[in-house]
Amino acid sequence: MSVRVSPDKCIACTTCVVHCPVARVTPKFLGPRMIGPAYERFRLLGLAEDDSLTYCANCKNCDITCPQGVPVSSINMLARAAHSKKHGSSLRDWVLAHGELQAKLLQIIPAGLKNFGMLNPLTRKVLDMFGIDKRAPLPPFAPKTFRQLVRELKQPALPRKVVFFPGCYVDVYDPQTGLDMVWAFNRAGYEVIAPDDFTCCGLPMIANGFWEDSHRHAKRNLAELARWREQGIPAVTGCPSCALTFRADLPEFFPDLVELHGGGVLEDAQDFLLECADRGELALDEAPGAGELSIIYHPPCHLRAQGNGLPGLKLLQRLKGVTARNANAGCCGISGSYGFKKEKYDIAQEIGAELFQVVRESGADFAASECGTCRVQVQHGSGKKALHPVSILRARLEGRRPA
Amino acid sequence: MSRTTDVIVVGSGLAGLMAALAVARQGRTVRVASEGMGCLAIGTGCVDLLGYAPDGSSVEDPWASLPKLPASHPYTLLGEEKIRSALDVLVETAAKHGLGLRPAMQNGAPRNTRMPTIMGTLKPTYLVSDTFEPEELASAKHVLVASVRGFRDCRPALVIDQLRHYTEWADKNYTPCLIAPPFDDAVRALNALDLARAEERPGGRDWLMNSLKERATGCDLVLMPPICGRHAASTLARDLRAVLGCPVVEMLSIPPGVGGLRIRDALLRELAALDVEMVENANVTGAEVSEGNCVSLKISSTGRSYTAKAQAYVLATGGILGGGVILEPGSAHERVFGLELPLPEDVDKWTEPEIFGVHAISGLGVRVDDTLRPLAANGMPALKNVFFAGRTLGSHDPAVEKSGYGVALATGWQAGMAAAELAGASRRNEEAATGGKQ
Repeated sequence: MSVRVSPDKCIACTTCVVHCPVARVTPKFLGPRMIGPAYERFRLLGLAEDDSLTYCANCKNCDITCPQGVPVSSINMLARAAHSKKHGSSLRDWVLAHGELQAKLLQIIPAGLKNFGMLNPLTRKVLDMFGIDKRAPLPPFAPKTFRQLVRELKQPALPRKVVFFPGCYVDVYDPQTGLDMVWAFNRAGYEVIAPDDFTCCGLPMIANGFWEDSHRHAKRNLAELARWREQGIPAVTGCPSCALTFRADLPEFFPDLVELHGGGVLEDAQDFLLECADRGELALDEAPGAGELSIIYHPPCHLRAQGNGLPGLKLLQRLKGVTARNANAGCCGISGSYGFKKEKYDIAQEIGAELFQVVRESGADFAASECGTCRVQVQHGSGKKALHPVSILRARLEGRRPA
Repeated sequence: MSRTTDVIVVGSGLAGLMAALAVARQGRTVRVASEGMGCLAIGTGCVDLLGYAPDGSSVEDPWASLPKLPASHPYTLLGEEKIRSALDVLVETAAKHGLGLRPAMQNGAPRNTRMPTIMGTLKPTYLVSDTFEPEELASAKHVLVASVRGFRDCRPALVIDQLRHYTEWADKNYTPCLIAPPFDDAVRALNALDLARAEERPGGRDWLMNSLKERATGCDLVLMPPICGRHAASTLARDLRAVLGCPVVEMLSIPPGVGGLRIRDALLRELAALDVEMVENANVTGAEVSEGNCVSLKISSTGRSYTAKAQAYVLATGGILGGGVILEPGSAHERVFGLELPLPEDVDKWTEPEIFGVHAISGLGVRVDDTLRPLAANGMPALKNVFFAGRTLGSHDPAVEKSGYGVALATGWQAGMAAAELAGASRRNEEAATGGKQ
């Protein structure tokens, strides 16, 4: 690995330790300061990796809170990649890092059969032995992927265009959110292009130590993004983790690719829609006979890390008849594939416990969050249905209750 | 981000949060942009007002010593009344969320108090926990100094050894005590916050109470690290006092100091209730200025820049360590507007050989007028709608004076008030210009 992050800006102030969700619930984790910048100095001296590195969830709260701008999580992810390269990875981690590939391989099998195959108690027991906790809320495959559905969709011919990066969660498990996004952009006067050449953003691979795979995906994605950028067409995503990967991780980890293809900025789709509203392209104050709706909103950590506030919440708050409140209760605990792992499941649930309680006690009709796995976790922990803000937007503007 | 707001506050330390609170209470919209969380989250939770006078003498009554400060000191610029009103706001807001803070009283008057730290030293400070009674410390004869095994920051033997050097602590009987930790699976050295969080685990409260109950028998004071809960509303310290039947004092800790987190918790709850928008991980790198007015701030984050607009701005970006003041070879400037900050030409004069002495760079910061607007070299306001607060301000030396949080909260509150007023006036002018249609 040619890239290294200097640990020397860290002044050991412990701010990251205070805000680390994992360190809060388990003393088995050395904590961000110790496993990140402090241990990095030992790594540079050639010392063996510390076991507790696996506890870092890559939620980025250390990066958000560091007053010195130390990318603590990047140090951890680079160390994990180096460790995996040297010592190999578990099959479980490979499976969790390559969900998109498996979905592609399983494409010929009908969803019902796949889901029966994957989610029946016997398989869950086997998966559990294999390291995926049987209590974890594995999402079922959708009958058709977003990209299959969007090809069948007849969009109105519109002069302005926008490129949409769905992210694996929307593509494989939750295509409806992607369709809602297309609907919203159409409504704002944009035709949505969903290129087949996009692939997984690579974050699950980064988080599980599969560096070369992530590099390969980044190469393909950045080349594709550059193609659209040259045509002057903006690219957006509704998934905060994909956006953050493009904006923060890829330039940091793969400067070679950024040099080759230019930076690959994916705009936040919610922010983009808000700007459409500000320009008068999208009217948010229509709600034909839809009544009142209350929403409890959970800000994903990977959105907070982007330094652009909470545009999805703003969007909800501008919808007529909608009361949307920030749950403001920290990390949900799932961190992509982290909370599905057998040895991490309880940690993830304990991290999210405060949020689940706030959501349960909110009395809201629905929970909302931009991140797919956050929604899975919030729903699993609180029992309240969680939707993407743009799905709620669509339902309101269509004058129906979200479902 | 295209949405406009009345005021943008940069920084989320004590000064930034107080400024945001002031703006929101004035009914104006406010957005807080922060890079990192500010040092409140790791601080002790005590508020220093003024611990030492400019001549180095120890201060008993900080209010009586304010007139001794130089004319350019932030306290002198604000005046006593504005400092008092800001302190009152913090005390009331903390109380509203369950955290009792007040000045220690001596003979019915508020006075500085010398709080013991987990290093066994004494630190002068002003606002302390409202369970704290200086007389109880003075009269205590049998002191239990408790800590937790595996918590390396706080060693009772060291605390006792050190405390005996101070006259007021010399003639007491001490009992050191190490209780068993609440976890047996820790792989890291425990810190005060880890132990404070034990309260939230099943059996955590009982652990602390039961561990100390027998040991405290016969004692008339318990000194312990700040481990009685991390939330503003935690009642553990109070309940412990009732169970042990004697005063319990949480010593001040090195980071993470837990007490600061309790204040932060109270302020964040208040700001959330007022719907203040927090924009995290937003690095404010520059500003557009036109005719002495800031038009917008340039914010960079994760590979992208955007501008953010408001009617008025509060800059609480911290000092050299916090990144609000940039030191370069031979020069210093303020981070966002590039305001030049005066330093001796000879670099050797920036610092003193004596580490606890008065260093030129410690007093380095933005010079402001009495409404906290930055001054140009000619003494006129350099910017009309920008107000500075906290450690970014020059002419005070928190390390030497023990005035850090006092200056932060007083200037933060007043900068917020001034920004809100200016934003309100600008809005009214706009409305008048558009015939009130907006």
